[in-house]
Amino acid sequence: MKVPRTLLYLLLVVCFAMSVVGCQPPAAETPAAPEAPAATQAPAAEQPAQPAPTEEPKPVTAEDLPVLVMAMRLDDVVTLDPGYAGETTNLTIHINTYDTLVDFRPDDLTNMVGRLAESWENNADFTEFTFKLKPGLTFASGNPITAEDVAFSWNRMINIAGAPAWNLDGVTAVEAVDELTVKVTCAEPNPAFLSIAANPSLGIMDSKLVKEHGGTDAKDAATTDTAKEWLDQNSAGSGPFTLVRWSPKSEIELVANMTYFKGAPKFGKVIIKHVEDPTTQLQMLQTGDADLIGQLDSDLMEVAQADSNLVITTDQTLDMNYLAMTSNCKTEISPESSALLCDKRIRQAVAYGIDYDGLIQSVMNGYGVRAPSIIPLGILGVDPAKTWGRDVEKSKALLAEAGHADGITLDYYYASNATREIVAAKVKNDLAEVGITLNLNPMEQSVYLSEMRAQKLPMAQGGWTPDYLDPTMWTDYFALGDRSVAFRMWYKNEKATELAMTVRTNMDRAAREKAIVELQDILIDDMPYTMLWQGVGIHAHRNTLTGYKFHPVWLVDFWELAPVE
Amino acid sequence: MNLISYIVRRLLLMIPMIIGITIALFVVTRIVPVNPLAVILTEKSMDNPASVKAATEKWGLDKSLPEQYFIYLKNLVQGDMGISFKTKNPVTKDIITFLPATIELGIASFIFAILLGLPLGIFAALRAGKFIDHFSRVFALLGASMPPFWSGLLMLFLFYYKLGVLPGPGRVDARIGPPTHATGLFLFDSLLAGDMPAFWSSLSHLILPAIILGWFTLALMARITRSSLIEVLQQDYIRTARAKGLRESAVVVKHALQNALIPMVTIMGLAFAGLMTGAIMTETIFAWPGIGRYAVEASVNLDYPALMGTTLVIAILYMFMNLIVDVLYAVIDPRIREA
Repeated sequence: MKVPRTLLYLLLVVCFAMSVVGCQPPAAETPAAPEAPAATQAPAAEQPAQPAPTEEPKPVTAEDLPVLVMAMRLDDVVTLDPGYAGETTNLTIHINTYDTLVDFRPDDLTNMVGRLAESWENNADFTEFTFKLKPGLTFASGNPITAEDVAFSWNRMINIAGAPAWNLDGVTAVEAVDELTVKVTCAEPNPAFLSIAANPSLGIMDSKLVKEHGGTDAKDAATTDTAKEWLDQNSAGSGPFTLVRWSPKSEIELVANMTYFKGAPKFGKVIIKHVEDPTTQLQMLQTGDADLIGQLDSDLMEVAQADSNLVITTDQTLDMNYLAMTSNCKTEISPESSALLCDKRIRQAVAYGIDYDGLIQSVMNGYGVRAPSIIPLGILGVDPAKTWGRDVEKSKALLAEAGHADGITLDYYYASNATREIVAAKVKNDLAEVGITLNLNPMEQSVYLSEMRAQKLPMAQGGWTPDYLDPTMWTDYFALGDRSVAFRMWYKNEKATELAMTVRTNMDRAAREKAIVELQDILIDDMPYTMLWQGVGIHAHRNTLTGYKFHPVWLVDFWELAPVE
Repeated sequence: MNLISYIVRRLLLMIPMIIGITIALFVVTRIVPVNPLAVILTEKSMDNPASVKAATEKWGLDKSLPEQYFIYLKNLVQGDMGISFKTKNPVTKDIITFLPATIELGIASFIFAILLGLPLGIFAALRAGKFIDHFSRVFALLGASMPPFWSGLLMLFLFYYKLGVLPGPGRVDARIGPPTHATGLFLFDSLLAGDMPAFWSSLSHLILPAIILGWFTLALMARITRSSLIEVLQQDYIRTARAKGLRESAVVVKHALQNALIPMVTIMGLAFAGLMTGAIMTETIFAWPGIGRYAVEASVNLDYPALMGTTLVIAILYMFMNLIVDVLYAVIDPRIREA
């Protein structure tokens, strides 16, 4: 019997390999019975069958409530510790597990309301902010929410100096004045601070719980804080849900906080499942494996609309896609292109040469809008009536005026992905019609970011999503010469800087609006950027779900959702 | 004994190989003209010079390259592969998080490829030119030429969406949830915990990705088994065996197959290592949280520590598979042992 022996060896190979790799030391953080504070989720097997008690009505626990499954892309999540997380999806998780002091609800994005804070005030020059907490609130752990917790949360964020720390740039002190009053001091006038405080990243943490797990807000927190490992798998907030598990690139599990101060959620558990392919997301929704999905691809709209079990909503987002052109006449990469682009007539010629309507139709299937400048529709002072479109004659005239009637060649850079490739091809085609030849230079994302941030690119295609709802989210970064995109594209205009500073330092609504309107005109004239399109998000859920409301910063608040009775 | 000293020698040889790999990796990753700070910091924190300075120091990017390399090597000897720029976790921890999913899928695909590939190859050889041979050829051709991102989506559409007989993406049904964590291998963990719903759910979730991932290996095995068996069947000793009047089944099983399968050991070793290193497309389509995606993201983001760590693990895996194959050869084929 020789043949079986051969097979036996083969089996041995498999078994050996299995035992070699299978015997990895179990991950140190093996979740020992999750100490979910609100809901003890003992599996049925561990609980001896209870003799039906029944005199007192049993209080509703999280297990009695239905489970909500959401399918979306989760692959940008690298940590769920609010001190470190600086991506997009974590905002959805944080708004559902932590409470911020103030809030912009989805139904009214222009008026701030209190969440943990009962009231707030600032001094005349916006350097000091005082928040008064609502009394009697507790974290999911049962610990009371105090001003100390606010100071701890924000000081920890500042001292860890992780990805979200920029939210608190310029904040010099966060102190508890008394048990329910917290005072924030800024080095410079910072009227946007109140809006920033509504960013889910600035949710308030249970300092006692975080300290128990190695957290600290000390000056050297960057090296001494060891709570991240715990906070990746658990939350220490007061939000409607508690994080109980995060399997990277796979799933996030939240359990209802039945003692939530606005009332217990209608779902006992929320599972957010990572699914990358949009078609598969829709299939999961149609089969009922998912109750809602993150975003519906516009290509799939017809299929989705044909399904009577689905509810589809379209919501204007504040996500922008822009084309930026340098104002530096000698960029390190492609100096010839920048020598042309530093003439604003050339930048205008490019901007007026692009067929934006066609772009939105062909690339976004019509699900996109445009604003007059880089500041999106929906923001104070932005008037849709001022939006301009393609003007081939004007574009050609501008080229001729700049002395290039016979055409020019420019180098165009972008981080390659499916959408950006199509956009770049479309822009190239459009510009060819006005006499501008575009050399497309797709780059690896990391290379693109490096070069862009090093101010080296003459022309770039980028995107911008807001972290908080204040005009400074755009005016600071696109008009102040030393900040972010303006800095990287060498855009510096004294008048624009002055107006952006007015938006930054003046809290009077009328004055801000006036400044934004003026700034917008300057941006249209200087044309350092042209907005390609502003996204319209398509969202879908099953008709067994009600209460869905889209939010441009944090997507969805699960607390608002309920099963249809 | 001869074999043991051979193994020990091979194991010792791995040390200089590993050092060589780290040097090569280190040089290759550092000559790419990218500023890793662009990955470590976000768009907005790049504006803050203090954050930039702190990050440069924290991640040791202000030190000279040889210095960075020796620090890396020193830590590596102590089993510390550094902290990932992107996830801010120890790379070892990340690898332990993502590797079990890959191992489970790799083993399942390997089993699928062997269980189907070997018989298909054998029958194709025995019935060369007949229907089963043509069928096997077409089946193998499909497996070798259909890209997983297409065949995977197609299979999901058919078996999950249209027919509803197999589950959708992921490792386990969201409403059932994963078994209590022990090894990260869901099938094993669910049996350990006696969690049968999780076991069946994990098993059914494995079917489609294992087929898609294993199909290529299956094709390879079927084709090589076929050609190797056909070659052996034409040898003199087979004619002799037949001339002796042995039953055809005895000729095939005892005389031909055993010899024909020897080259398969090499193929299987390499194929197994290949399956173990993750498959970016299959992992993406089936939302499978494996090491393949982690490695690709590490390289796209130029996450030096994660990139070095995953490459090292994969390289060591290949070295071990090669060693096992060589040892098996010696065990199976006495001629090699004596040589």
